Amino acid sequence: MQASRARLFKEYKEVQREKTADPDIQLVCDDSNIFKWTALIKGPSETPFEGGVFQLAFAVPEQYPLQPPQVRFLTKIFHPNVHFKTGEICLDILKNAWSPAWTLQSVCRAIIALMAHPEPDSPLNCDSAFSCLWTGNLLRSGDTRGYQSMARMYTRLAAMPKKG
Amino acid sequence: MVSDSITNAPIPSAPNSKDFSKKKRANRTAKLKQCKLDARREQWLSQVAVKSKGCKEEGNCAKKERDRSLENPRRRDEDNNDDGSIHHESDTESPSNSPTNSLLGGGGGSGGSDSGTNFIGSSSSGSSISGSSSGGCCSGSITEEEEEDDDWEAVADALAADDDNNKPEPEPENSYSQSPSESQLSMQSDSTPELTNGLGLDSANSMTETESARMVPRISGNNTQAWRPDDAYRPQSLPNLAKQRSFPATNRHFGHGGVPWSRNSVLGAPSSCPICYEDLDLTDSSFLPCLCGFRLCLFCHKRILEEDGRCPGCRKPYEHDQVESEASVQGGSLTFRLARSCSMIARS
Repeated sequence: MQASRARLFKEYKEVQREKTADPDIQLVCDDSNIFKWTALIKGPSETPFEGGVFQLAFAVPEQYPLQPPQVRFLTKIFHPNVHFKTGEICLDILKNAWSPAWTLQSVCRAIIALMAHPEPDSPLNCDSAFSCLWTGNLLRSGDTRGYQSMARMYTRLAAMPKKG
Repeated sequence: MVSDSITNAPIPSAPNSKDFSKKKRANRTAKLKQCKLDARREQWLSQVAVKSKGCKEEGNCAKKERDRSLENPRRRDEDNNDDGSIHHESDTESPSNSPTNSLLGGGGGSGGSDSGTNFIGSSSSGSSISGSSSGGCCSGSITEEEEEDDDWEAVADALAADDDNNKPEPEPENSYSQSPSESQLSMQSDSTPELTNGLGLDSANSMTETESARMVPRISGNNTQAWRPDDAYRPQSLPNLAKQRSFPATNRHFGHGGVPWSRNSVLGAPSSCPICYEDLDLTDSSFLPCLCGFRLCLFCHKRILEEDGRCPGCRKPYEHDQVESEASVQGGSLTFRLARSCSMIARS
């Protein structure tokens, strides 16, 4: 409990200090609860998510950093490793491959990397595999064009500022 | 000197007042001595303490120093201004003044000889001779002293009124930081009178020992601030903060070796544990639990062993040298605790 709080506080100071270090990530701590964080990440270039800004919600457990934070997309995203409805992220480092050496900032970087390199074949444990199956099937069947156009459409719909 | 002052001193007319003033003087010299001893002790203590105190204190010290430097020149200027007016008084009082002074000189000469810079004793005894022989041309130091003795409250009152007129000069700060007697640096000769002035005034002003005790840390606080690291007059005995700061940096370099974690800027400071971000102490930094070279503090290592037991660096289980690492944890826990408490003491 105390250890996680101390660690989060130091991560917070680190984030404040290196605000400009990574312009693609904007990590903000909840005003009243240091265990709740939100992040804004820019969609990586040369992907269907380019130009979009995606919001992530972090729920940090009290056993952090021994336990991984729970991260999900608040912004709708069409991605084989993200649950389309709940925003849950199927990423190994957020599950069994978690290491206490990771930080919230590095988790954001990993998520950006995941957006750029979807893994349709990775053993995901999305329960309702609707989006996983759908997007995964699109990719697995080699329909990258279909996947990309769907992803771009949802990026434009959900992750870009409305025009006018 | 002692015999001189005694022979030269006229026989006091009022033995009662003499006794009284003698007691008072003796009291004062004792207190002065005490003050000086305290000051010296505090100076040494502060020199030791400064080593352990980092920049935490600097804010406080800077503030105190500013207060001090604002306070001192005012007092001194005030005294200089008042010299003229007080002079008449001391002229009339000179018969009674000189014997006490000579007695003080004797007392200061014999009793206070151990203090390296007994400015007051020597100056007053010297001037008491002149005072008694020429009949009332008292030197500045005497009038100042007398005035300090009797009118210091009035001076303190006047200080408040004179507040705006006297701007603080950089000089007293310098002279003050050179503080009591045995600072090993070569002083400028023209700053010495300043020093005696300041010291005499302050020790005379501090009538009680609590006051002097309160005063002394200020001086020592001054010591930490008055010199820039590149200052020529900086005493050798003062610790070099920059050097101290560079010490953990070498540690950091040492702890960093061969760890492929440098790409994470957040983890880029292996002088602290990458898990809990606490500083690695000596035991921690020599603790290498995994072949991959990932370092962490013993506390976090223990917590990880209790949970999933995998190295955070390579995610391999620590099991291959389970016995060894357990032993090191067991053996290291005692030293770990000791080192923590020691470092806390050193820090505070």
